[in-house]
Amino acid sequence: MRAEALKGHLDGLLLAALEEGPLHGYAVKEALCAATGGRIDLPTGTVYPALHRLERAGLIAGSWSVVAGRRRRTYRLTEAGGRALSGERAGWQEFAAAVTTALGARPWPTTS
Amino acid sequence: MADHELIAQHLRALACRLPPQAVEEIADGLHETFEKYLAISGDPERAARAAIGEFGEVGLITAAFFRESPWRRAALTLLATGPLVGAAWGATLVAAHAWTWPVPLAVRMLYGTTLAVTVLALLLAARERRAYRRMRRATLAAALGLIALDVLMLIAIALLAPVPMWPMAIAIPASLIRILATLRWLPTALAR
Repeated sequence: MRAEALKGHLDGLLLAALEEGPLHGYAVKEALCAATGGRIDLPTGTVYPALHRLERAGLIAGSWSVVAGRRRRTYRLTEAGGRALSGERAGWQEFAAAVTTALGARPWPTTS
Repeated sequence: MADHELIAQHLRALACRLPPQAVEEIADGLHETFEKYLAISGDPERAARAAIGEFGEVGLITAAFFRESPWRRAALTLLATGPLVGAAWGATLVAAHAWTWPVPLAVRMLYGTTLAVTVLALLLAARERRAYRRMRRATLAAALGLIALDVLMLIAIALLAPVPMWPMAIAIPASLIRILATLRWLPTALAR
């Protein structure tokens, strides 16, 4: 799936990836890829700035640790992030239901 | 930190463009990706190329960071609102016959030069695509410049304007809002 198709939905997807527990940047990308059956596989390097933006917005919180001699930044969902995720879910379900209804197969009108 | 020269090169190229903490975070992920592919292929060269391919080229990563940068957004906001605040002050100065004020020529020239440099710094920050630090410095300089210009204009109006006039009702609050918003935003941005 192309990155442009995710416009407006990336935040919700990243928040959902962190719902199960704290993850570092690469693991967030892997979780997103696994959760979508590989259909959403973003260039990993582009996930970090999106995570930083969510952190600035207070939706996730990051903390540094040392793993295998390397500094690692791990992110967790905040309370505000949990509420934002619920809102994203509700909005998406409403949107998806409306589009599904509009695009649903209809019988061709008879001409005779 | 990296186990292959290609990975090290990639990180060096990113380090020239992005903040150190961002590069450190990317390095951890890139290293983990490299290890994943190394376990699959057993070939360090192939693993390094696959890891870089999965992460994205330097230009792609840098562009994503610049798009999301609070410094760039601040520069764009100041550029967008600048002409409105400037127009309000322009109307105020015309209405107050500012050319008759006893302000030394050197002060006028200094104000004009600071204004021009500030606008140039904002344009530079908004157009910068290669060096995050340069964009950050340009936005910071412009933000401080605008605070100084706003404060100077408020002092000038308080001391030299003969009587209150209607354009001041727009110009003064606009400058105060810009000063307060910038002062509120700056410490948070500098702390990151």
